[in-house]
Formats: sequence, structure tokens, C-alpha cells
Amino acid sequence: MGLFRRSTSIDVTVSPTVAVPRQTVTATISGSLDRVRSARLDWGYTNFFRYHWAGHADSAAAQVNDDLWLLGEVGTNYGGDRDTEEWVSVTATDLPIATGELAGGSYDFRVPSWAPASSEEIARWSCRLTVDRDGRDVDARGDFTVLIRPEDADAGDEPMERYDGAGETVIDIALPSPVYAAGQVVRGQVRLTPTADLPEGDLRVSWQRHRESHPLTKNPCATAPVDGPVVKLGKGIPLRAGSPIVVPFEVTLPADAAPTAAAVHSSMSWFIRAELFYAGFTSHMTERVRKPIVVVNSVG
Amino acid sequence: MSSAQPLYPDEPPPPARGLTREERGRDVSKAQAEVEAETSTGKRLLKSMDPRFVMSMADGYPAVLKQFLQFCLILIYPAWLFGVLAAAAIYYSVYGVLWVVFSPIRLWMKKNRPDDYAASQRK
Repeated sequence: MGLFRRSTSIDVTVSPTVAVPRQTVTATISGSLDRVRSARLDWGYTNFFRYHWAGHADSAAAQVNDDLWLLGEVGTNYGGDRDTEEWVSVTATDLPIATGELAGGSYDFRVPSWAPASSEEIARWSCRLTVDRDGRDVDARGDFTVLIRPEDADAGDEPMERYDGAGETVIDIALPSPVYAAGQVVRGQVRLTPTADLPEGDLRVSWQRHRESHPLTKNPCATAPVDGPVVKLGKGIPLRAGSPIVVPFEVTLPADAAPTAAAVHSSMSWFIRAELFYAGFTSHMTERVRKPIVVVNSVG
Repeated sequence: MSSAQPLYPDEPPPPARGLTREERGRDVSKAQAEVEAETSTGKRLLKSMDPRFVMSMADGYPAVLKQFLQFCLILIYPAWLFGVLAAAAIYYSVYGVLWVVFSPIRLWMKKNRPDDYAASQRK
């Protein structure tokens, strides 16, 4: 009557539930299972990402689809992007099985220094137990949270990136530190150096975050950065060649900001961006620049 | 960020990451890549009438869905042919009028600015 025999349950718990890079966590397997062929303990993370689920992204049909969408025919779609998740294994060990029985035990794991921080958008760290047995297979997991503290982030002063405009005004963002915690106020200075006599400018700053999709096997989807609330720094700023202007600013990062992380299938980047509009209907293009920052967890 | 840190000997190396859409380059089917490689508009229009090109729009879809899409593409193939012919008719009539209208400027460029003219003729 093996079919109706009550299978003993097995449970995986990880302690401590919150860890930082280079800290050792312990998984405790409690309970036991019989008729086990093999058991595997896998440490790693579930990576959350978006991907292009079907069709070629640059296909002619995708262009026709975009045209129909612009005409108001939003019911049609070609391909499209979907949210998904995939397991990324960091270390895996086969557990010893004595006479077909898996007994409880404790196993240690040191969180690697490169571990992406836990967040709903990038990674959920777990210890997974996969049991292959004669009866129903078992897949149990114990989750834990990896926090990145300011001292765990290895960030230098990154160069400015100009992603829009003609560079008629050189914009430089000076920050006292490249690392900030979620919810922290970023205080810095924007330095405007006009290369010629230009119309008056309106200056704004905000945070920007970019969750990129780069799956290993699935098709990546196009992603775009998201800008935070705009802080207006000045209206009608005179822009004259040879007279640089320095404007201080304060930008508050969101309290629930997902930390900067680089995982296998997706990554999260943060920036402080500045944009300068020129007055009048002239051919001066809006300047947009950004400076990479590293966002870490707000600890304590 | 933290992946740039020196690796500790007691920890596994970080797993390799995938490529973004920009890093992978243009994502089109083989049939469409052949059409896009054509520099002549006429040949491009002609090749886009190839049923293989139309069928290739179902590439990259999961099995069953792909076959269903190919069936739908066969159904709309006459409309596709009509669309390409209509596009060709509009393209050549507008291009022809503009070719005549701008011919004095083109001839002036050919005579006085031969380098710029040669550059504008390259595709």
C-alpha cells in the first residue's frame, strides 16, 4: 500500500534570515523522507526579469503592429514582453543518502561578495532542496534576504554620460559620494559651462533607475530608464561663454528603492540626471546628462 | 558594482550574464535579413513579396502558435501582395515627380560639387 502511505514532510529553514555579503548562513533541514534516490542542496537566487516572449523584436510584423497601435488598433499585438523568473545556482551539493532515507542536517553557505541584493525586481536568495524519490518528488526551499551595505559596494567616481543634446553646455554633476542608501537625500552640485553665448536655460534634476533585461537563453526585451520626480533648479539661467554656473541641488531617493545589482538575467542601475532646456524656439537641443550612483539598502 | 570586487578564493566566481537587446544587435528572421540587405528599393519590394518572407513573421513563436500564425499569414497573403504593390505604386510615382522637380538642383550639384554628388548617390 505504498501509494497511500503518508510521506513524511521535509522543511528547509535558513538562519539568519537577513545576511550581508561574506556572511555565512546556515540551512537546517528538518524532517525526513524515505524511498529517496538522490537529494541536492542548491544555494542561489531566483532572478526576476522581463523578456520578449515570442516573435522577432525587429520583425516587419512588429513595425506593422506599432503602426496599427498608433492608428488606435490596440487589440492586435505581435510578440510582446512578459515577466518571468529563473533559478541561478551558485553552489550545489549532493546530500548523502543512507538506505534510501534523507535525514535532517545543517549546511553552511557563505554569501559571495558579488551577490546581487535581494529585491522584488532582481533577486530572491534561497536554499533549495530537490529530492528525487520513488514517490512524489519534493522541492522545498528556505529564503533569506541579502542586504548590501555602503561598505559592501565597490564604487568609484563614474564618468558623466551625455545621452541627449549637442553638448553646447558642458554639464557636470559633482557628488560627495557615489554610494547612497534607499531613502537618502542626495546632495550635490550641477556645474554648467556654456561653450558659446546661448539662450537662457531651465535646469532640472531627478534620480533615474534602469532595470535592464539580459537573459542568457530567452530573448531580451527593450527596456527604458524610469525618471523620478523632477526638482526644478532654476528658470532663465543666463548661459554666457566663459562664465560657468554652479547650482546646488537635493534629490531624495525612494525609500523602497531596489538596490543597484548585477544578476545573470537582469540588472538594476541608478543615476542622478540633469536636463537643461534652452529658451525660445531655436535649434538648441535639450541637454540631458546622467551620473551613475550606487544605491544600497538602508540598514539600521 | 559589487561584481567588480576582487574575488575571494573561497567563493565561486559570478555566473556569466546574458546580453541586452542593444548588445545582441538587430533581431530579425533570416528571410527579413536578406530583404534588408538589398540596397535597391525595387528589389527590396520584390523580395518582400516572397511568401517565405511573409511566413518568416511567425518565426520565434512557440510550436502550434507558429503554425496557426502561418495559416493566418497564408490567408492574408493576397492582401499583403496588394499592399506591397500599392506601396510600390505610391513610391515610384512620388519618387518620379520629385526626381523631375529636383533634377536642376541635382545637375547643378553634379557639375559644381562632384564629391558631394557622388556621396549622395552612394547608398
